[in-house]
Amino acid sequence: MTGATGPDEDHPGSGAGDKGTEPDARFTFANERTFLAWSRTALALVVAGLGIVQLLPPFPGVPWGRHLIGVPLIVLGAIVAPAGYAEWAANQRALRRGEPVPRSWLPAILTVTITSIALVSAVVLLLSAIR
Amino acid sequence: MIHPDDPDDLDPVMARERTRLAWIRTALAFAALGGAVLKTNVAAGLTVLAMAPLIWLTGRLSRNSAAGKSRPGQLALITLAVTAVALVVLAIVLLGHGKSLGFHPPLRRQR
Repeated sequence: MTGATGPDEDHPGSGAGDKGTEPDARFTFANERTFLAWSRTALALVVAGLGIVQLLPPFPGVPWGRHLIGVPLIVLGAIVAPAGYAEWAANQRALRRGEPVPRSWLPAILTVTITSIALVSAVVLLLSAIR
Repeated sequence: MIHPDDPDDLDPVMARERTRLAWIRTALAFAALGGAVLKTNVAAGLTVLAMAPLIWLTGRLSRNSAAGKSRPGQLALITLAVTAVALVVLAIVLLGHGKSLGFHPPLRRQR
C-alpha cells in the first residue's frame, strides 16, 4: 500500500473480447461507484423491509399489514442488485465504444415501487385506525 | 501526483480514493444488515456479518490492481452476495409469518 501507484502504462486490448478501447480510468471508477451505490440501495431496502416486519409492533386489526409493506421492499432489494450490475455492464460497454451511456430504468422502478408502498402503508394505517 | 485535485490530471488518485471509500461503505452496509438479521436469525446474521470483511477485502484487492480497469468478476460476486442475502431475508420473513401469526391471536382476543 505504501506509495505503490501500480503500473501506470496503458493496457490496450485488455478487455475480455469486448470491442472498443479501455476508457479513462476515472470513468471506470465512477461507473464502479455507481454500481456500489445501487448495491447499498438494495441492502438498505432489504434492511428496511426486515425492520418493518420484525421490529414494528403489529397493526391492530391488520395482522398482515407489516408483511404487505415489508415484503415488497425486500423483493425490490433482490431486483435492484442484479439490475445495478446489468446497468454497470451496459455503461462499461458504452464507455469502451465511446457511445453515450444508455438510459437508466432503475430510478423509475424505484420511484414507482416506493410510491406504491407509501400508498399501501397509508391504507394499512387507515384500516387499523378504523377498526 | 502534485495536483491530485486537478480535473485534467490523468492519474486518478482521488477517483481511486472515492472508489475505495465506496467499497468501505458497502462493507459497512453489509455489517449493518448482518446486525439486523442477527436479531431474528443468529446463523444467517453471523453469515452476513462475516461477508462484510470479505467485501472490504474485495475493494482493497481492486485498489491494488492495475488502475482503472473494469472487473466484471468481482462486481458479479458482490451482486450475487447482495441478491443471496435479499432472498435469505425474504425466506426468514415469509417463514416467520406462521410463527408471528401464532403469537398474535391472543393479542387480538384481548380487545
